[in-house]
Amino acid sequence: MGHLADAFRSIITVAKSFARPTQTVQFPKVVRPRAERYRASFALLHEENGDEACIGCLQCERICPSKVIAIKGPTKRDSPVTGKKRSYADDFTLDMSACIFCELCVQVCPTDAIVMTREPEAPGFEREDLVLTMPRLYANEKNKPRAWGDGTRLMEMQAAPKVAVPAPRVSLAEASITTASAQPPPPATAVAGSVTPHPDPLPRGGEGGRS
Amino acid sequence: MNDFAHGGLYGGLIITVLMTTTAMALWFERKMAARMQSRVGPNIVGTFGLLQPVADVLKLLQKEDITPEKADSALFNLAPPLGAIAAIAVAAVVPFSPSVIAVDLDVGVLFLLAVGALGVLPVFAGGWASNNKFALLGAMRALAQSVSYEVPLVLAAMVPVILTGSMKLSTIVEYQATHHWLAVWPFFLGLPAFLLFMLAMLAESNRIPFDIPEAESELVAGITTEYTGMKFALFYMAEYVHTLVASAVGAALFLGGWDGPFAPGLGWMVAKTLLLFASVYWVRWTLLRFRSDQLMALCWRRLVPAGVVLVVASAVWVIVFP
Amino acid sequence: MTELARRVDPHLVIERYDPEAELMLMHFGPQHPSTHGVFRMDLYLDGERIVKAVPHCGFLHRSVEKLCEKLAYVQLTPIVDKNDYVAPMTNEQSLVMLFEAMLKLEVPRRARWIRTIFAELTRIASHLLWLGTFSLDLGGALGGGSTTFIYTFRERELILDLFEDVTGARFHYNTHTIGGNRHDLPAGWSAKVISALDTITARLPEYEALTLQNGIFRERTRGVGVLDGDLALELGVTGPNLRACGVDHDLRRDAPFHAYDEVKVNVATAKGGDCLARAEVRFAELKESLRLVRELVNAVPEGGINSGKPVKLPVQTKIPVGQTYVGIETPRGELGAWLVADGTQFPYRLKIRPPSLHALSALPYILPGQTVSDAIAILGSLDPIMGEVDR
Repeated sequence: MGHLADAFRSIITVAKSFARPTQTVQFPKVVRPRAERYRASFALLHEENGDEACIGCLQCERICPSKVIAIKGPTKRDSPVTGKKRSYADDFTLDMSACIFCELCVQVCPTDAIVMTREPEAPGFEREDLVLTMPRLYANEKNKPRAWGDGTRLMEMQAAPKVAVPAPRVSLAEASITTASAQPPPPATAVAGSVTPHPDPLPRGGEGGRS
Repeated sequence: MNDFAHGGLYGGLIITVLMTTTAMALWFERKMAARMQSRVGPNIVGTFGLLQPVADVLKLLQKEDITPEKADSALFNLAPPLGAIAAIAVAAVVPFSPSVIAVDLDVGVLFLLAVGALGVLPVFAGGWASNNKFALLGAMRALAQSVSYEVPLVLAAMVPVILTGSMKLSTIVEYQATHHWLAVWPFFLGLPAFLLFMLAMLAESNRIPFDIPEAESELVAGITTEYTGMKFALFYMAEYVHTLVASAVGAALFLGGWDGPFAPGLGWMVAKTLLLFASVYWVRWTLLRFRSDQLMALCWRRLVPAGVVLVVASAVWVIVFP
Repeated sequence: MTELARRVDPHLVIERYDPEAELMLMHFGPQHPSTHGVFRMDLYLDGERIVKAVPHCGFLHRSVEKLCEKLAYVQLTPIVDKNDYVAPMTNEQSLVMLFEAMLKLEVPRRARWIRTIFAELTRIASHLLWLGTFSLDLGGALGGGSTTFIYTFRERELILDLFEDVTGARFHYNTHTIGGNRHDLPAGWSAKVISALDTITARLPEYEALTLQNGIFRERTRGVGVLDGDLALELGVTGPNLRACGVDHDLRRDAPFHAYDEVKVNVATAKGGDCLARAEVRFAELKESLRLVRELVNAVPEGGINSGKPVKLPVQTKIPVGQTYVGIETPRGELGAWLVADGTQFPYRLKIRPPSLHALSALPYILPGQTVSDAIAILGSLDPIMGEVDR
């Protein structure tokens, strides 16, 4: 019977696993190494002179899609390190139970104050255990390994390269421009999507404001 | 000693050993399945996870015992123990060694087929009495499947009876001890009958690829959907016991029972039973399941004619070569 | 209307408690081990045969589209990521392609290439997951199905590790941004990709032996849940479900976007439209994606990865008044996004066209006449993800 032969073949296939080593590890005794850029939790950093890096600019609070960051501030205070007046954040809480780990807060920080860490937070028994308070965030600076990404690095990675690389195709913006170049431009295939912008059925003059 | 005392003593012994072996079989199956899937399996509770069955039993014992409101509570509560009893009772006639057999009936094969078939009723009763559509569907499928696969099971069990001329299981094993194992000679009768027996046994105990009555992915838990706690544990255990005992029966009928090249006795029986048991679970963790109408087609169109041919052929064989 | 649609009326009214009808109403409820997410089907059964099936979705509705109206364009990628949670890269890709089309923004070639590699790797990961869960449906969580499931997840982990190396996240990446990507490939990533692909390619014959070439699998799926090509086109079914009906339509080849116009995509189709055809098409797509990634990852062009402004302020991207629709080919079909913009930094209306919704809309047409076991096989073969159906 064909089924018997298939069954036999399946059995032999599965039997090969007996010869292979196991693919699982005994978590949490053994933790697989995480990538350099792995993002799991957060830390607030100090600057080299020991002063808090966070200036309370509220950029991370504004960009967060889930609104998990709550900052009290900014207030202008004398710095205990340099003596000059600068702005600080009075309180900074981050609710890990709602965070979606999008890394946008890290990207927008102008002073690289908030970064992500490679180790996650330990699970807790109360909901409050999931809210990272300011002391916990500053403690994470020391007791958790940091991820690679911080504001400066992420912005640098997305910056235009020093050497301009010419784009080899006609962009949508230039599709209607005829250039007197030696080579005829390649056929204008849509670059940023398979889209022909639909004729706008909205009545002319209706600027589509939010009603 | 008289028959009752003998039966009671050995029966109790066999039941105890059976229960312990079932617990060990739980562990063995999980470890084997894990290795087949490149995992480790239970290894926290006790060294190598050996106490995992104990933990499972304790967990099931402390669960709340729920009887659905509109369920037929008499049948609902009776079904699991009856199912377990039907599974265990078959072990009474299996010869584990020349001296260890609880009740050596003259009609041993008939007894085990009949009592094994009784195990269908509690399954159906449990599913019907649950007042749950998933359980009802599972019960219907279980009934159809079990009743249908009785026929190839009986036909396959007839082959050793015809070849050895007796229904007494100890006689069958002794015949195999003095002549050849029936799966070895006549292999063209014994081996197909053995395979047929194993397939029918898979279907009787609702094992993959015939486990459509308890198909988790289709019917949540099939017949055991509404069962919790110890009642669920009894159903669950009844499956394992059924498989174990059926493996023992298969070993006795076709593989020579306690016979072996050297030191015949209990050890060989245990080894063969465990071998068959392991192969049943190997198949379980490898294959997908049949749909119920494909199951039925397989039974009535392939297995039953094969069984009939085998019975007739073995009758011819016995006449030609007494 | 097709023949099939004419014969089967999904709006057939059946009296629920009519004793004359002798039909059993079974809720394949939201709580079920194999409904691929929270999904409810009301099945009217005659014995084991389904007479009428009424699907109900919406259990996973999270108001994503409404939420998108309250958030700025630059904040939307991590939100939309969660729609099709099995193929997350393609969610982000469709959204940023839409914004770039509205802004007439040209994405650097390197970013286009990287996005295509991500999309194809996501296709591999998604089809691996589909294979595992389909085997689970057919074979049981405690049984043969789970063996295939564990194997495919083990391979999927390799791909998720690759994504982790680039973006830092295994599952919801937020790596696409308007104008390009946020994360560049680290050094040595191509070699890791090749080695992961080698491992997967070596294991493919095992999967075939356990599923496609297995007699039991073929019996369970051949002739089951036949979807007519015309009906599929009427209902808006796309992707592997459509190609299994014999309709040769793949957006990667027919309306190429990103790097698909620089590589040749061999589109897999099958005849028959049954579960086996869908399974074969997905398997063939898996192999094709393995080949495509190999080709792409060896030739990643140099350059920058973002030609737009990196995200700094929510208010930085304002899209002028207009409407556009962009559709891309995801592992499930054509994932589309439709934007009505009003000049501010918030979308006026963002509508997402999920391919799984159209696949599920075929259920009332193809389920009647099948058995309950077939219903599971059909649902698994259509590969719906409730996250994008309900949004």
